[in-house]
Amino acid sequence: MLRAAQKQDQAVSAKRAWNVVVFSVGGKKLAARTEDVGGVAAWVDPLPVPSRTPFVTAMLKRDKDVMPVYDLGGRLSRHPEGDTLLCLVARHVDGPMAICIDGVIPSLHNVDVAHILPSKRLDLETLGSFSDEGQDIEIVALQRLGRNRQDHVGS
Amino acid sequence: MSLRGHHIATTAVVQTARFLVVRFGRILCALPSQGVRGVLTPAEAGTGSQITFVGITYQDIDLASRLGVTLDPANPDMRVVLYTNGQTNGAMRVEAVIGMIEVERGECRPLPSHFQHEERTWISGTTMCKDELVLILTPEWVLGELGEVVAASTGPRSLSAS
Repeated sequence: MLRAAQKQDQAVSAKRAWNVVVFSVGGKKLAARTEDVGGVAAWVDPLPVPSRTPFVTAMLKRDKDVMPVYDLGGRLSRHPEGDTLLCLVARHVDGPMAICIDGVIPSLHNVDVAHILPSKRLDLETLGSFSDEGQDIEIVALQRLGRNRQDHVGS
Repeated sequence: MSLRGHHIATTAVVQTARFLVVRFGRILCALPSQGVRGVLTPAEAGTGSQITFVGITYQDIDLASRLGVTLDPANPDMRVVLYTNGQTNGAMRVEAVIGMIEVERGECRPLPSHFQHEERTWISGTTMCKDELVLILTPEWVLGELGEVVAASTGPRSLSAS
């Protein structure tokens, strides 16, 4: 009984906090839910693709996988920084998608849902934002990136 | 082995596709081979807006600029590929001809569904050549029948790398 209650408490506290990966693009800190991140690897030069889909204009090969590149830096009007850039693999609803991020190794954070505020910005798919060391960090909705919709915290 | 001592051979039918792989800058493109009518050097092709080869006239096609690539006319590897889909004949300058490849159909992947616009009619998918990613172009787009013009843009680092 006690064990069952403990498990329930753990489940409730898990729902009250989100595990997020904090990364940066052009020096701007962003976050994504850990379950939306497929991995982080070294960036490789992508293959440009003639395309009219906004910010989806390249593809890259990673091991045996071929995935499109989402130009998040271009969308934010920022250039990824660092001598060795990194590739963040987003678990998008249409399949894995590569995003070029700064060369700073992403860090894991546990954010209390109570501290996550609904995002005010409409130009990027986000799940909300939280404050860390006085800096607002948007939680990017990687699953829906490029679909131009806004969700609010609560799920 | 059968009762009469003969070996019974089974032949697995593997569907393959053949492509001529050409290079434009860092972009490798695969052209379905059935449309290839010849590969000429620039000297053989001449400088006119059309080329007549074996009695057939091919109009000059600037595929390189549609791919956002500027070709170096002094490049000794440059070739002119004569291409047709049976209705339209085109001659396109390429940075280099990599060669003819034959791949199993299963090795040709469709364009990821993240690409949602006209490019889906320009590029039928991807395949691999010498461990490099190759775009399979649709003959109609190559020959300008779709009336679409767009330059490939590049990712964050590819600009400096190209």
